Amino acid sequence: MDTLFLEFFQNTGFYLCDYRNIIMIIVGMIFIYLGIAKDYEPLLLVPIGFGMLVGNIPVFKGLGLGIYENNSVLHYLYFGVTQGIYPPLIFLGIGAMTDFSTLLARPVLMLLGAAAQAGIFITFLGALALGFLPKESAAIGIIGGADGPTAIFLTAKLAPHLIGPIAVAAYSYMALVPVIQPPIMKLLTSRKERLIRMEEPRQVSKREKMIFPVIAFLLCCFLAPAALPLLGMLCFGNLLKEAVVTERLAVTARTALIDIATILLGLTVGASTQGDVFLTQNSVKIFVLGALSFCIATACGLLFAKFMNLFLKKKINPLLGAAGVSAVPDSARVVHVVGQREDPSNFLLMHAMAPNVSGVIGSAIAAGVLWSLMI
Amino acid sequence: MNGVDAVGVLYGLEAINAHNGWAISVVGVTIVFTGLVSLSVLISQLHKLVTLYNNPGRIKKLFALKSKSAAKAGTPKKHLVLTEAQKQICRQYNLLAQTMDDVISLPKLLRMAELSGLKEPHANINFLVKSGILCADEQGYFRWDEDRFIRAVS
Repeated sequence: MDTLFLEFFQNTGFYLCDYRNIIMIIVGMIFIYLGIAKDYEPLLLVPIGFGMLVGNIPVFKGLGLGIYENNSVLHYLYFGVTQGIYPPLIFLGIGAMTDFSTLLARPVLMLLGAAAQAGIFITFLGALALGFLPKESAAIGIIGGADGPTAIFLTAKLAPHLIGPIAVAAYSYMALVPVIQPPIMKLLTSRKERLIRMEEPRQVSKREKMIFPVIAFLLCCFLAPAALPLLGMLCFGNLLKEAVVTERLAVTARTALIDIATILLGLTVGASTQGDVFLTQNSVKIFVLGALSFCIATACGLLFAKFMNLFLKKKINPLLGAAGVSAVPDSARVVHVVGQREDPSNFLLMHAMAPNVSGVIGSAIAAGVLWSLMI
Repeated sequence: MNGVDAVGVLYGLEAINAHNGWAISVVGVTIVFTGLVSLSVLISQLHKLVTLYNNPGRIKKLFALKSKSAAKAGTPKKHLVLTEAQKQICRQYNLLAQTMDDVISLPKLLRMAELSGLKEPHANINFLVKSGILCADEQGYFRWDEDRFIRAVS
């Protein structure tokens, strides 16, 4: 009987536990706390945080429980991440939620979304310099796109062994946009610039909104065909929304479908952060590069907005440049909040959505470009 | 920061150069910019296309205008012979036209002429229109024909 108890004890989590599991469980709890108590991206941080708890319960190898064990339930669910299935589904939902009106009304703001993508390529260079291989560097660089699904998609294609740290870094920094961006925005803009008011955008017709996803899809995918899975789904989702006659499909895409994909993606990405696999020197480097990537992307957007003002008759508020990172709609919201701190009657949210959604398109193109350059 | 470690992993600028990092970054940024710039140019014209689609009459008008202006271009313009006083009037109104946009509104030109204290503005503007130096753009506005003006005053 003693032997039975001893054998049972040796199979429990208490016996198999490693200090790395404890660290990751604490990180998971912090994620859950930030999501629930601080309201930082709760739809992402809560599933990822709980996934971290799930993934860091030490299990007896061979029982088929761990996410990295063949035939385990978690392994099957994780298949959607490793094969890049969930990100396009999430993009379908994002497309069905997004209103491109402000972008159509002021297309010049699209350049801010392009400028912010420079952060991706600068981080790519940084990762190469730190000793990562080119494919790994490309996957790390995409964190600067501030787009979780895109980061996971590209990492699954180029460096699947880094999905855990890259996904967690991307989502953590996306959640921390309200903390990371404001100091950079204040540092790179003067008060006078932050007070600039944007002129009212023109009315955009329904027909324009319907034509846009088709044109955007054709143009971008002819240019960077590797962006097809993400941009195709984004534009398809948007067409469903704007076509009106497909409202039922659009509603499903922006509610049930995106929610299911987000739950499965968040939980399995969280579960993939098993302490022994996740806590490595490379993960630390990825987190540092990820933070740098976010800061560079924000700075590039802001500086490019200032550069554009040198040529524009009607100046734009350079804060909008920070919304070029594609964390939708958080970075646009942060721009609005920072702008309102200077002038409570200055409403920038609507204008900031233009570079914000163009950032989504830009980061998907960047992912496609990196993918095609690496194969 | 540059170099190779014990297991042969490259670091720093050497790693970037060895993996063609600079070229990949430049090409990547260029493609992203090209994509978004061409998309923004395209969508900036989209509302015009939609307006044309909504008003097919405008397309006919556009072609009619084009054939009209082509016909006009085909016939050589008569050379103007002006008196010194008329040349002086042309020069004065040219200065006013330079302060305005490419498209000139006659009431605005008239008001500016009055403010500048020019004599007989109605008659002189009428003279400029008849001589073809101020030419109508068929949308209710006028343009200053720089070639005709130079030939007239030279």
